[in-house]
Amino acid sequence: MIKHLIAGIQRGLGLHRPGRSLLILPNDIFLVSFPKSGNTWTRFLLANLRFPDEPATWANINRLIPDPTGTAKRDFDRMPRPRIIKSHECFDPRYPRVIYIVRDPRDVVLSQYHYHRKIRKLDDESPLEQFVTRFLAGETCPHGSWGQNIATWLYTSEEGPRFLLLRYEDLVADTARELAKVAAFLQLSAGPEQIAQAVERSSADRMRQLEKKQTDKNALVKGSRKDLSFVRAAGAGGWRSELPAPMVARIEAAWGPLMQRLGYELSSQPATQEQDYATEGIVGGARNEVSGVRS
Amino acid sequence: MRMIKRLIAGGKYFFGLHSPGRNVRVFPDDIFLVSYPKSGNTWTRFLIANLVYPEKNPDFSNINQLLPDPEAMSKRALERARRPRILKSHQYFDPRYQKVIYIVRDPRDVVLSEYYFDIKRRAIAEDYPKQQFVSRFVRGELNHPYGTWLENAATWFYARRGDPRFLLVKYEALQSQAMEEMARIASFLGLSATPQRLALAIAQSSADRMRELEKKQAHLWSSTRETRQDKPFVRSAKAGGWKAELSESSVAEIESAWGGLMREMGYELAAASLVDAGLEHAGVERL
Repeated sequence: MIKHLIAGIQRGLGLHRPGRSLLILPNDIFLVSFPKSGNTWTRFLLANLRFPDEPATWANINRLIPDPTGTAKRDFDRMPRPRIIKSHECFDPRYPRVIYIVRDPRDVVLSQYHYHRKIRKLDDESPLEQFVTRFLAGETCPHGSWGQNIATWLYTSEEGPRFLLLRYEDLVADTARELAKVAAFLQLSAGPEQIAQAVERSSADRMRQLEKKQTDKNALVKGSRKDLSFVRAAGAGGWRSELPAPMVARIEAAWGPLMQRLGYELSSQPATQEQDYATEGIVGGARNEVSGVRS
Repeated sequence: MRMIKRLIAGGKYFFGLHSPGRNVRVFPDDIFLVSYPKSGNTWTRFLIANLVYPEKNPDFSNINQLLPDPEAMSKRALERARRPRILKSHQYFDPRYQKVIYIVRDPRDVVLSEYYFDIKRRAIAEDYPKQQFVSRFVRGELNHPYGTWLENAATWFYARRGDPRFLLVKYEALQSQAMEEMARIASFLGLSATPQRLALAIAQSSADRMRELEKKQAHLWSSTRETRQDKPFVRSAKAGGWKAELSESSVAEIESAWGGLMREMGYELAAASLVDAGLEHAGVERL
């Protein structure tokens, strides 16, 4: 009863987090990705590009690039527009413009495994293999599986002018070039200096240093283990040394065609015993009809 | 006035009397009957209700209780419904839905069905130009929150195809081979139904019988209650009406927007058949 009352008062003052009932404005931009795909880094990049007078930190990022599950409704209402909003949701037809970040699922699974240890969802002895099984089944987060999340966006929005697909790996390889693409998509006039400054202010080193000082300032890291950091390797391809071959094979068997379409080279010929949830449709022929994202 | 409205809404919310819609609480044993609007969802609800609950004599007065609709029923009633629930839904992909039957229908027929339904529910006038309606349909500008036909079908199809907990049923196949499709649905639901039981469920859900029921019960059902009573909800109940009723340019507009997925689903394109036939047959009448 008291809980209800507090929730009611919070709601009245706009202090609650709107979640799915967020009122979406026609010029909103959503920064979407499956969890652990570089969303926080990209949020820093975009915040530093859009608000050069207020360098992004763990303390202000939820206000600069808000998160419907982490930012109060009041802050949403007060933001300068157009708003850039973080999301991990599967396809939502209400989103007017979308920047989608995709990352190699073989790296995503490792990143999520480490993150779940950091936030004490898993203990250190928890076997990675079991985590991979749950990851493939979409049971490690409430946003579908990796394959489902990307498939719902790719097959509905890829060819439209209001959708920009970025690969995390390209962002790592040439951050300035990819950020310039984002600036063009957002119709922000940003020169090379502004882009370089945003990249610098969002570097893994700077984010790590800030994390050390501000670990209790952000819900993503608040209360989590201090001996493990949120900003980890910040690289691409860690799976080659860290993910055992049989697990690589299972991921490739489940999502091989979808991965290839996104330009992720497979290390094995996909086996067929794994249930092929989000990709079987492409094998049937859509692959021939929709041109690939990248060669 | 606004304050009172909000207070009433707040009170309803508190007692669970509001309709939760997309925010419906999902139970692990739920089964969802999903389709884009006007794709045979109501007919399939009757088919399934007559298959699973024949003793309840399913009709328009109790269909919302038998196969609950989160858009038309209160949160409280939904959470008290008999488990496992078979829920009606028009939602685009929702990762919380585990067991899903998805009904897909040729979008060229869906748009016509939507057109007549919008006249029935007074969303458009009787002389509203079909051509214009098709354009709005393709652009996703119709007044409902379920995305476009492609967005709805593609999200389910590409996210769940191949999953043993996902059953794709074509409206056209339900029309042309009801026994086979009903057998698939029964086995998906874990029912061992005899051919007699399947045949009875099909007969009890025939368009003629549903029309008769609608005449008597239109005022008892949420989807027909406040609509024009001079227009039926159960209309032609046939596949392929678009061939006679849609203009060539409307057909082309739909096919150029969604042709890829339509072919993937097995819907032959009118435009492509001309292309495939090559120049020597270019004069052949379209379908």
